[in-house]
Amino acid sequence: MFVYEKKLQYPVNIKNPNPKLAKIIMSQFGGADSELAASVRYLSQRYTMPLPELKATLTDIGTEELSHLEMVGAIIYQLTKGLTEKEIKAAGIDDYFVDHTLGIYPSSAAGVPFTAAYLQSKGDAITDLHEDLAAEQKARTTYDNILRFCDDPDVKDSIRFLRQREVVHYQRFGENLRILTDKLDEKNFYAFNPEFDKKCFKNQMKKNK
Amino acid sequence: MTERDILMKQLSSYQFLVHDLKLYLDTHPNDRATIEKVNEYTAKLAPLRDKYEKLYGPLTTFDAEKNRWSWVNAPWPWENEEVE
Repeated sequence: MFVYEKKLQYPVNIKNPNPKLAKIIMSQFGGADSELAASVRYLSQRYTMPLPELKATLTDIGTEELSHLEMVGAIIYQLTKGLTEKEIKAAGIDDYFVDHTLGIYPSSAAGVPFTAAYLQSKGDAITDLHEDLAAEQKARTTYDNILRFCDDPDVKDSIRFLRQREVVHYQRFGENLRILTDKLDEKNFYAFNPEFDKKCFKNQMKKNK
Repeated sequence: MTERDILMKQLSSYQFLVHDLKLYLDTHPNDRATIEKVNEYTAKLAPLRDKYEKLYGPLTTFDAEKNRWSWVNAPWPWENEEVE
């Protein structure tokens, strides 16, 4: 089960509204490499993982991604709070406004709504971990791109924290992949699907002989 | 920064330390040095949580039994009080 804590993982305190910046940050709320995609991906993949370490890591990182989703939502909320119709028009977010007013809706910077087609739960631990490693790097690049267009120190501070977590998660998933392959037949990791095929782990293979 | 922000920052710092070390323990559950650090920081976190909840309201809905009003009415995390 999940229990909500009424706090952010890391503070978001933005003094100056900036709707143009909010628009590009929206990609991390509901875009292809968003925190939402990350969370749904990990929390879906974990059920059929073959090792306890992988179940634990996907559960804990998938949960942390929900905290990041909340932080990104807070950034967008604070960047768009109290805007006038004139400011909305001038910033070029009238296309967003017509559908959502100033509500926070999961979509990409270009307005494409969130879809589960952004992510995969393949039922093969090697395949899924490679997707997870790639997902962390894609999110890291998105944060790098956001930082290129961001000169507000309040926003930069929160975005840099989120960017750093992508790097840490990448390290954790890398260790998960190593733990998994260490336990498989090193002559051919791909001879079996460790989530589906029976007896593909080294200890089980010895018992078999 | 308000007193509340300062306390929240202390609390969040210890909470984050514990969280990050626990991610490491997911793949290294027997690492004794890390377990000791988790215990040390968890012990420092607990009184900060208690202090925060006493002063500013409950952090989870389960902590809210004695202060339901505050759970509902105290500012929500995405709200930036100083600006309002």
